[in-house]
Amino acid sequence: MRPWFVGFVFGLAAICAFTPAPGVAQTSATTSYAPPRTRDGHPDLQGIWQALNTAAWDVEDHHASLGVPAGRGVVEGGAIPYQPSALARKQENFAKRATLDPESRCHLPGVPRITYMPHPFQIVQQADKVSILYEYQHAVRYIYMNGNPHPRGPIEWWMGDSRGRWEGNTLVVDVIHFNDLTWFDRAGNFHSDALHVIERYTPTSPDHMLYEVTIEDPKVFTRPWKMSMSLYRRQERNSELFEYQCHAYLLEQEWNNPASTLFEKR
Amino acid sequence: MSRRVVAALTALPAVLWVLVLAPGPAAGQAFWPKETPKLPMATTWVAQKAKLPPYTPPRTPDGEPDLQGVWSGAGGDNNSVLEEHEYIDVTTPAQESFVSDPPDGKVPYTPWALAKRNEILAGLARGWPGESGQRLYTSPGSFCLTAAPVFSFDAQEIVQKPGSVIMLSDDAYRVIPTDGRPAIGQNAKFWLGNARGRWEGHTLVVEVTSLNGKGWFDSTGQFYSENTRMVERWTLVDANTIDYEVTVEDPTIYTRPWKMNFPKRRAGTGPSGAPRGISVASTLPPVDNDPYANESWETACYEGNTESLRSIHSLGYQWFTGVTPPR
Repeated sequence: MRPWFVGFVFGLAAICAFTPAPGVAQTSATTSYAPPRTRDGHPDLQGIWQALNTAAWDVEDHHASLGVPAGRGVVEGGAIPYQPSALARKQENFAKRATLDPESRCHLPGVPRITYMPHPFQIVQQADKVSILYEYQHAVRYIYMNGNPHPRGPIEWWMGDSRGRWEGNTLVVDVIHFNDLTWFDRAGNFHSDALHVIERYTPTSPDHMLYEVTIEDPKVFTRPWKMSMSLYRRQERNSELFEYQCHAYLLEQEWNNPASTLFEKR
Repeated sequence: MSRRVVAALTALPAVLWVLVLAPGPAAGQAFWPKETPKLPMATTWVAQKAKLPPYTPPRTPDGEPDLQGVWSGAGGDNNSVLEEHEYIDVTTPAQESFVSDPPDGKVPYTPWALAKRNEILAGLARGWPGESGQRLYTSPGSFCLTAAPVFSFDAQEIVQKPGSVIMLSDDAYRVIPTDGRPAIGQNAKFWLGNARGRWEGHTLVVEVTSLNGKGWFDSTGQFYSENTRMVERWTLVDANTIDYEVTVEDPTIYTRPWKMNFPKRRAGTGPSGAPRGISVASTLPPVDNDPYANESWETACYEGNTESLRSIHSLGYQWFTGVTPPR
């Protein structure tokens, strides 16, 4: 078993090795905002949040197409550093994305894609864990902060195993134990079961958080790389999460469709 | 696997193998010997709670009755059959009804709705009494669909925050505002409906509207409609027991409002006293001081059940889209 903090140290080193590209939002080290505190003295990140970008379609710079807005990438440095054979696979994924993207079959999108799906999520803090409740597919993540390390593997989960700690006002989440069945976006950017994700949630104002993600996967990439984006607190009075039970709608649509490929053996 | 379990498995009709072997909805499936005494549900609970002394729950720092903690589900046969029944097969032992009112324990359908219900029951094709052998619908639960009020029949952790009560399960959640905000309009319909909570004395009252009517109460086709309103009452009746009661109202398909009632026990406070079936979990030796015992780990029911979905589709079951009651 690999203690979670070992991966955290590697992740920290990876973050320090990066110089943010021009135009990327401030790093967690540069904010001076002090958020309110929960009753047990931790930064209070609770509430309803949402990303407001095009990363769910493509985390790199991309033009528009039907139904897909153009957008600047959220990958620091521009391009994802694929190994050559992995880049070929990404391009094949892209060509067949409409049917190959597991999210198009309503499978759980994994981490960090669940964060930037175009749906809100709610953060709930308790003494033993931070829970993130996602409108998309009513997904839940329990980020344990009870002193337990990652459980021993091998484990392959869609959403990985999350262990959190505070670093100043930043919630740092270490995630391992992924399967290889999720993509980072609709554009075919993928990973293996060796994926290791380190998330950093840093409040930068009462209504903004900086979300930074370090991705490590020695089977797919030549080096660790990083995404960053803003998260916005939903401002509507009486904002709430609704339901998006994706597979219910998909099954209902496809059940009586003689041309459906949903029920084919893969 | 014990010899009793192997013997029980060989008695299963073929179609049940689909449900038994699939991880996900059948995870934790128990197998029940024929001699199992009738499992308790509403009748036993109503009698037990009448004898409980008055109880004043502790309060949260915000002054609400403190319902926080991890709570068991209704137990029994995993709400396979809602009404009172005798032993059917190894997955479904004799059990009391979930229905506490009307006193006969039966869902009070209108004649039109009862005919619909019997049509669904006849088309389940499990080899159970009352079936024709033709396939019509199978339970929405088979598709890992989360629906009201079944979320409340299962285990959850209750967390209380100012202005809301949050219920967490291993693959879903409910956030129930208690701040008096209005519900969403009735043309917006959901599997879990739209919930609004308020405190009445010691009781959390949760009104659920905007239901899409596509869920079942059990696996036999006991249904509701998009006109249904459910009112749950969650009351701490001793330090380790929540009295869960839900009133179901829908004049388009029921002749009167009716109720279901059972206890939810605080996790780790000992067995409920009812006999337990034999499951894989019950044959494993307990792990002392497991540091992960209180953690809730991923279940990914839908992702793990693509094979059983394929089987159900190829067997020719139709997709249940709810009932359309006459005006």
